[in-house]
Amino acid sequence: MRHQRRIIAHCLTAFLVLCAALLAVVASADDPARSGSVSAPHIRAELFSDVSAVAPGDTLTVALRLQPDEGWHTYWLNPGDSGLETRIRWTLPEGASAGSIQWPTPERIPVEHLVNYGFKGDTLLLVDITVPVDLDADTDTDTDTGFTLTADASWLVCEAECIPGDASLSLTLPVADISTLSQHTALFRQGRDSQPLAADWPTRFVIHDTYLEVRIQAPEDMPSTDLHFFAGAAELVEHAEPQTVAREDGALVIRQPLNLYFNQTPEHFAAVLRHDPTDGSASAWLLAARNNDQVAEAGQVASAPAPTGLWLALLLALGGGVLLNLMPCVFPVLSLKALSLTRSSAQRSHALAYTAGVLLCFIAIAGLLLALRAGGAALGWGFQLQSPPVVGALAYLMFALGLGLTGMVQLGAGWMGVGQRLTHGSGLSGSFFTGVLAVVVASPCTAPFMGTALGYAVTQPAPVALSVFAALGFGLALPFLLIGFIPALARALPKPGAWMDTFKQAMAFPLFLTSVWLLWVLGRQTGADGMAMALAGLVALALAMWLWGLAQQQGSRNKRIAAVALLLLAVWPLWSATRLVAPTAEAGSGHAQPWSAETLAALRADGQPVLVNMTADWCITCLANERVALDTDTVRNALTAHGVTYLKGDWTRQDPAITDYLAGYGRNGVPLYVLYPQDGGAPRILPQVLTPGLVSDALAAAAGQAASEQP
Amino acid sequence: MKRFSRILNGTATLLLAAALPLTALAAPKVGEPAPDFSVADTAGATHSLADFAGQTVILEWTNHECPFVVKHYGSDNMQTLQRRYTEAGAVWLTVISSAPGKQGHVSAQDADRLTAERQAAPTAVLLDESGDMGRAYDARTTPHMYVIDSDGVLRYMGGIDSNPSADPADIPGATPFLADAASAVLDGQDVTRAVTRPYGCTIKY
Repeated sequence: MRHQRRIIAHCLTAFLVLCAALLAVVASADDPARSGSVSAPHIRAELFSDVSAVAPGDTLTVALRLQPDEGWHTYWLNPGDSGLETRIRWTLPEGASAGSIQWPTPERIPVEHLVNYGFKGDTLLLVDITVPVDLDADTDTDTDTGFTLTADASWLVCEAECIPGDASLSLTLPVADISTLSQHTALFRQGRDSQPLAADWPTRFVIHDTYLEVRIQAPEDMPSTDLHFFAGAAELVEHAEPQTVAREDGALVIRQPLNLYFNQTPEHFAAVLRHDPTDGSASAWLLAARNNDQVAEAGQVASAPAPTGLWLALLLALGGGVLLNLMPCVFPVLSLKALSLTRSSAQRSHALAYTAGVLLCFIAIAGLLLALRAGGAALGWGFQLQSPPVVGALAYLMFALGLGLTGMVQLGAGWMGVGQRLTHGSGLSGSFFTGVLAVVVASPCTAPFMGTALGYAVTQPAPVALSVFAALGFGLALPFLLIGFIPALARALPKPGAWMDTFKQAMAFPLFLTSVWLLWVLGRQTGADGMAMALAGLVALALAMWLWGLAQQQGSRNKRIAAVALLLLAVWPLWSATRLVAPTAEAGSGHAQPWSAETLAALRADGQPVLVNMTADWCITCLANERVALDTDTVRNALTAHGVTYLKGDWTRQDPAITDYLAGYGRNGVPLYVLYPQDGGAPRILPQVLTPGLVSDALAAAAGQAASEQP
Repeated sequence: MKRFSRILNGTATLLLAAALPLTALAAPKVGEPAPDFSVADTAGATHSLADFAGQTVILEWTNHECPFVVKHYGSDNMQTLQRRYTEAGAVWLTVISSAPGKQGHVSAQDADRLTAERQAAPTAVLLDESGDMGRAYDARTTPHMYVIDSDGVLRYMGGIDSNPSADPADIPGATPFLADAASAVLDGQDVTRAVTRPYGCTIKY
């Protein structure tokens, strides 16, 4: 009896063990998100997916996990002095595509007297796979077809000796309406944690006779010790030679001797900057290094960013500021202010108050821009006008100022600084706010020269950037300061009198025109509906101002209340207008094709000459250049005659790709005109003020190289 | 005074030029005299660069256990190149710079046996145990290839071809850098790509 019981117990145990084993097998076989491990000499490889079921149109991530033996390693995209990077060849269902390998942060592995770049221990190489939209969820119910992806991975695993290996790893994921996360999320988190962080710090390299120099516009608080720079290009640097890291002009500068086998200058390469402080808190950043020659050789203004010294930038900003005074949006306000000043008893203090207003407002806008950029937004100068609410508000402001000038209403001295009260020397705050207003109305008018200075400014540490903006403000305020401090100048201006009223009323019309132009920009951003709403709002605004004017004359309290109510009413259509988005219009117009980095690269690879125009509807310089030069028959004919492709990029609304392109030329605002000559020569940057003759000469020169070679 | 300094300069240049082949540590440079060497082959005969004056010399660094070397010997690519260029009148020297006890180091007998087994056809196999010759050429990988013209000037240094893989299937599709360079030098023409990426295993000095 007892014996029997023991046998049953044994059988039961054996059965349970068998069940457990079977369960384990079934469990791993049942997980569609892992391929099962393949062993090769000194390494194991396996493929994982972050989803256990895929949905059409989704993007999933797969991980090739390489686990070399202790002391063995595999290689990074630049393996260093020897070795070979790991490669994956994909076999995917039709319409699916695989991205490139997202590499972990490499380490420096010295071997004998050479150095390799690679990975020790558990290594996860992540790749994004795009699932086509037209993948059928349940094509065939009886033969369960899934989404099958196969990775043919090949690697070189080395200690001192090296062994090449390969594995064919497959996953078949069921197709569903919604993708489901797999149980390997922790593994993917580990994979992402092992990668460098993508950094958008502008990074330029120059190849000197014997060494590579890389300038990284890294944040100021970035230490310059315990750093190592990994160049992601084979045979560029001498990997075993020490590199120097220094802070120069606000940039982090890396220098390393050129590789003995260096033979080809890359246009750009990926790089990793690794920080390993002694406290063990390692971090790493992924950078895109570009060839500085493309910028440096372009001549003219293109010496930015590195060679543009601070003094030159300050000087350009100052000149640009002075020119701003003549812009149609600024001139009406300022000319009246200047005339009123001549009768003021305290010219100097008014001039100083005005200057303070201008400077503070410029620094505030620049500070906001820098803060937003530090927060990761890809913005540039003119960013204010990429926002429809700001454009709409400016249109309202211009219109209201114009109505004020016509005499419909006596605007408070605080804002306008014109009219009788101020000419009799009322508050300094009036002058201060005129300064603020001047900056606000000036922002749509990017004067020539400002592009370079501002482009330089925003890539600099905050104190430098702010001083450039301050110089711009100082330039804007300079005429006032001169009038205030040089009595002879003030005397030379016509004496105020009855004619000033007429002049004041006439000056309303440039402001109305500015308002029309801003409404057009708003229309481009929000469509005809948005523009119509804003125009209705303007009518309400005009009505409010008219009532307010009557109330001023009659002292009627009711009319005042009605005016305020109407003013509030005027804001509502503007608010709703700015929430609309214009239907995506055709980016290119007429003879221009829309710009994209890919189009440009393809044309350049073909050796075709290309003219790139970076523009925005709110950039008056851009529009003027197009009207006066680029869209003329002379230039159209020259484009056709020389076979130059004309690409136009539209920055009216935010576009990070264009912001990045501008940064590549040391710019941070539009316009930018770049001419790429035939057969891949160095690009040339055209000036910010164009004439048809200048453009057609440049086009002829760009296409001429090849023409002159032909007998 | 000016003339004196010019003479001084000229003398210094001459002295430097004369000293160049002797400075073993200077990195080799295409277009300049190739570093000299004096190394015994598997038969015990010592060879130096001067012995081959008037002939085109091809140098091949090797390590028979390195997968990249196996790629080119296993596919008969290396032997074909050796036969083609020795028949065309060039000298082909296979150099082993592995130190004793390290991967790829072989005795003279083993080296000869390997040559016979693989039906290789070099002019000689040099045993550079000390690594002096390897360091003089700054040889880094196996294989690593050099071409020296009949005037003793280095004309090519770098990889055997353009595809740095260990897979023999990649050989036909790769640009044969070494073959292009050797043919150009033998034909008295300029080498189009004189410096390329050497790829393979690290030399075990």
